Amino acid sequence: MDLSSFAGPFLPEILLLAGTLLIFLLDVLGIRRIEVTGAVAAGASALALLFVVADLGFAPLAFLANLSAGQVDVAIAPGATPLYAFTSLGLVFQGIFLTASFLVALASMSRPSNERGAPIFFGLLLLATLGMLLVTIASDLIFLLLSVEIVSISTYLLVAYTRKDVRSLEAAMKFYIIGALSTTLSFFGASLLYGAYGTTNLFAIRAVAGSVGYPVLVLLGYGFLIAGLAFKATLVPFHAWAVDVYDGAPTDVTAFLTGGSKKVGLFAIFLVFLGPVLFVAPGAGGSPFSGGTVNIGPVLQVTLAILAVLTMTVGNVLALLQKEMKRMLAYSSISQAGYMLIGIVIGTSPALTGATLQMFANVFMKTGVFLVVAGVTALGVGPLIDDWKGLGTRRPLLGVAFGLMLLSLAGVPLTLGFVSKFVLFSSAVEAQGYFVWLAVAGLLNSALSVFYYARVLKVMFFDRPEPDALPTGAVAGGSEPSLLAAGGLGYARATAIALIAVAVVAFGVYPQPVLGAISNAAQHFIHVGP
Amino acid sequence: MRRLEWGGWVSVAFSGAAMVVGVLIGVGEMVNPGTYTDVRYTWLHLAPAPGPFPNGFSLVVGTLVDPISALMLIVVTVVGFLVMLYSIGYMHQDRGLPRYYAELSLFLTAMSGLVLADNLLEFFVFWELVGVCSYFLIGFYYEKPSAASAAKEAFIVTRVGDIMFLLGIFLYFYNFALAGPAGSGGWAANGFLFVNGNQPYLLGHGLGGNSTLLTVAGIMILGGAAGKSAQFPLHVWLPDAMEGPTTVSALIHAATMVAAGVYLLAVASLFLGFTSTDQLAIVGIGGFTAFFAATMAVVHPDIKRVIAYSTISQLGYMVMAVGAGFAMVGLFHLFTHAFFKALLFLAAGSVIHAVGTQDLFKMGGLRKTMRLTAIAFAVGGLALAGIPPFAGFWSKDDILSAVYSQLGSHPAYWPFFLLAFAAVFLTAYYIFRAWFLAFSGDHPRDPSLGHAHEGPWTMQVPLVLLSALACGAGLLIFVPGFQSLLLSGAGATGIPPVYGTTDLLISAASVALGVSGIALAWVLWGNGRVYALPETSAAQPVRRLLLKRYYFKIGYDWIGAKGVYTIARAADFFDRFVIDGTVHGFERAFALVSNRLRRIQSGVVSDYAAYVVAGLIALFVILLIVAPYVVSRLGGG
Repeated sequence: MDLSSFAGPFLPEILLLAGTLLIFLLDVLGIRRIEVTGAVAAGASALALLFVVADLGFAPLAFLANLSAGQVDVAIAPGATPLYAFTSLGLVFQGIFLTASFLVALASMSRPSNERGAPIFFGLLLLATLGMLLVTIASDLIFLLLSVEIVSISTYLLVAYTRKDVRSLEAAMKFYIIGALSTTLSFFGASLLYGAYGTTNLFAIRAVAGSVGYPVLVLLGYGFLIAGLAFKATLVPFHAWAVDVYDGAPTDVTAFLTGGSKKVGLFAIFLVFLGPVLFVAPGAGGSPFSGGTVNIGPVLQVTLAILAVLTMTVGNVLALLQKEMKRMLAYSSISQAGYMLIGIVIGTSPALTGATLQMFANVFMKTGVFLVVAGVTALGVGPLIDDWKGLGTRRPLLGVAFGLMLLSLAGVPLTLGFVSKFVLFSSAVEAQGYFVWLAVAGLLNSALSVFYYARVLKVMFFDRPEPDALPTGAVAGGSEPSLLAAGGLGYARATAIALIAVAVVAFGVYPQPVLGAISNAAQHFIHVGP
Repeated sequence: MRRLEWGGWVSVAFSGAAMVVGVLIGVGEMVNPGTYTDVRYTWLHLAPAPGPFPNGFSLVVGTLVDPISALMLIVVTVVGFLVMLYSIGYMHQDRGLPRYYAELSLFLTAMSGLVLADNLLEFFVFWELVGVCSYFLIGFYYEKPSAASAAKEAFIVTRVGDIMFLLGIFLYFYNFALAGPAGSGGWAANGFLFVNGNQPYLLGHGLGGNSTLLTVAGIMILGGAAGKSAQFPLHVWLPDAMEGPTTVSALIHAATMVAAGVYLLAVASLFLGFTSTDQLAIVGIGGFTAFFAATMAVVHPDIKRVIAYSTISQLGYMVMAVGAGFAMVGLFHLFTHAFFKALLFLAAGSVIHAVGTQDLFKMGGLRKTMRLTAIAFAVGGLALAGIPPFAGFWSKDDILSAVYSQLGSHPAYWPFFLLAFAAVFLTAYYIFRAWFLAFSGDHPRDPSLGHAHEGPWTMQVPLVLLSALACGAGLLIFVPGFQSLLLSGAGATGIPPVYGTTDLLISAASVALGVSGIALAWVLWGNGRVYALPETSAAQPVRRLLLKRYYFKIGYDWIGAKGVYTIARAADFFDRFVIDGTVHGFERAFALVSNRLRRIQSGVVSDYAAYVVAGLIALFVILLIVAPYVVSRLGGG
């Protein structure tokens, strides 16, 4: 049976929807055990991921490909206004989002099996991921913003899924109110753009972007759109909600928020802004407001550049000051968004490659660290960084895995985080002009971030725990845990963490396949994409 | 066998296997150059983009076996295995044995990687790795304050060189990346500073680019080599590095790691090329160090430190040869020196193992109880003194002839040549002074050392094998293939050493100097004599100057204590008041915002609205005022 004729190009999306419905159906039938619903969610994500990887041209999985060559990276005929278009960069992002949902679903299966709300959690997880997949193929502003809304609404509910925990409810409420406001800003911006361009189609906007006659209207429109999407992407100065929400949400949800859904905002910024930014080559053009037409490219570029530098600096500085593990990681997550924004600002294909690679790296590192935090918190370790004293020696494997993720976040060579930062910053240097300063800012910030990551390593491996500070819940009969002890963490979570640690090193030692694929996708995206 | 020693035997087994493979590969390549092809693996490839690299840019990891790396590979694996075996007998404390063997094995790995690296960046990675292993092993007895501080000293002083080396790489890269090979339109995607014998990359394209930059780059490379090979003025760390176990001194601080600096210079001279200013600087540093270090060895009472100064001095010879354009001749001396210097250290280790002191003036008469060690030390000493037919004669003589052949065209080499020549006499004198003090006479001067005895077989076998190598390694020069290799190593700049009458004269003169050095040592110290310089002698200040190591260490300590500490204080002040001030400013500003946001229980939705509006205002200030201003300042685009 030919899969493409059966399900068409939307097979991954259909799979996720089917998974969601199955989980809710099982819920109605009274089957709520976390192992079952979790397995459905993880399975659906993994299967969809395989399809996406096959579509990206991974030869051994070619038989799974559901998109034919004529459906990806197709040049759009002038005048055509498609609602969606498949680009290989979009597929890369589908892979990133599915990886996040798979890892979170897998790790969450280790939560207490009688936990209330498991079907809601896993169902909403798949639903949010479905929204993310739709974002990656959008080529129309309305389609794009509606897909973002699917993600947003699902994640508001995800934060509150326990229904009992006051802190989570508080976080969800905050998340919801600010999210709703930001959505209105996005739509308002889109409506202004519609007024200026007469269309909401991204291809059509790209075709006329530099030569439209309502400069202030266009700038205001993009301004509101940036504001709305910047909330989703946690860019400074729209970031302050993020830390409270990341801190208050159940940690597995936080892992999904930082690893997955935050990147929706960034990818949406990719889609919306690469058009006009690319339209005017860096360094070209006259005064931004001359002659009735607006040379919006450079102005938007500089605006995003300022946001990028602000985001990484503020995120890093505040991360330095945190005493709680989760808040420190939340701020570091904000600063990571700044690095990724650099790639959008520069807009060349190497820069886009770097930014995408950075997000690819981030989905492992950030999801990974929060999954570890969730597991360790479940063992009874307190929220402070100092509560982690001696963890590295008591649970060596966990300590090493967490350490690898932190080293990768800090950008130490032979980890994935180094490769992505190297590609990103070198693209900034290559692009020359003021972009070099973005690389300098990025490097200084990386150096700064090493400090707070190294501090965690020091606490974990070199500080002695105070007597009876470290709970021995995982340790049966008070003996030392064995090297392979998954007890306490749960085997599913331990597997997810191990997968992440291996990926962080494996892709760092041998980045070429991923780097090549993303580099290809980025080149196509710049020439074809909306 | 004690359980603690299992790790030792594992290391012996693996380094033995490495030696078999290393020797097979090395000999195969030297007999038949080009047997092994370069294996390369692209670690990171950046897609082509406008800018300095229109063909893209690759970071490459690869292994390369060419004749010079083959020579080094043999040295590293053979000496590595013998030292590992010797360690079984020598290292017998209970604590830290696994650490010792792990670090020594890591060192051997890194050193082999350095030798086999096929580009300068990879070279640098392994360069740093051997450096850190050296730090660990010098500080092996870290409970001893002197060992801990020696380790730090070695690390910091070589770090000065390492930074220079890195800057040198950057300068070469900058220079060639901007200039590019003529007519090529930029570098090929994989053209990053390869050191490939079959493809002298940069030389092949001519020394294009800015010659001042090239000269500076060459000086930087020299700085890196001087740090690692303990050349003047970065020589201070090596004598103190003797705080480590003697096995470590033999392997790392005599035979292999310290030779890495010479190897770097050789590689750079063969594949990057030096300007004539660089060459003069290298010859100058090398020739001066050869003499300078030898003078300090003359008075030292510590057996290991005498040999350490001798190492610095011999490395000076090698550096000088490379600088004069004879990279292979320098490497030949490196090759023979590795064996006889490792032999001297292991023999000294055998003595220290037996008598428990390093003070030459407490020893004496040890040849009676330690016959094998006495013979081994003598063989090493004769090789070092350059007495034919021992190994050192052939290579040191080659260096002197090679430099002599350049004197016609480079008169500025003259003083350094003479210094190096004079050092031959000092070398023979100080090493036999040590031998006579330790082994001749009737009995130890310190009576408590009477019960000395030879070590176990694991210590004796390496001594015997290294003695054989110290006798025979120089005969390599008679292998026809190797001779042509020596000549080809002369590269584009040199005239190959010709074995004519002039060279015979030089040989005769240097042997005469060596013999007279030994004779002087016998007169002053032979047969249990102890020569005491009269208190009123005019030479006393010189002796003090030498014992104080020309006050270099004190000077550096002063710079470290006063200069660096002042800078550190200033930096600390800056950190505390400027940086922390900024950070706390941030903290307060954001705490204000987030505190307002945190009042969720109040349910005051207008707070959120206010927050959103604040963000929006900030954004529009940037978008409508700041960004257009920046764009106009950027020159209209």
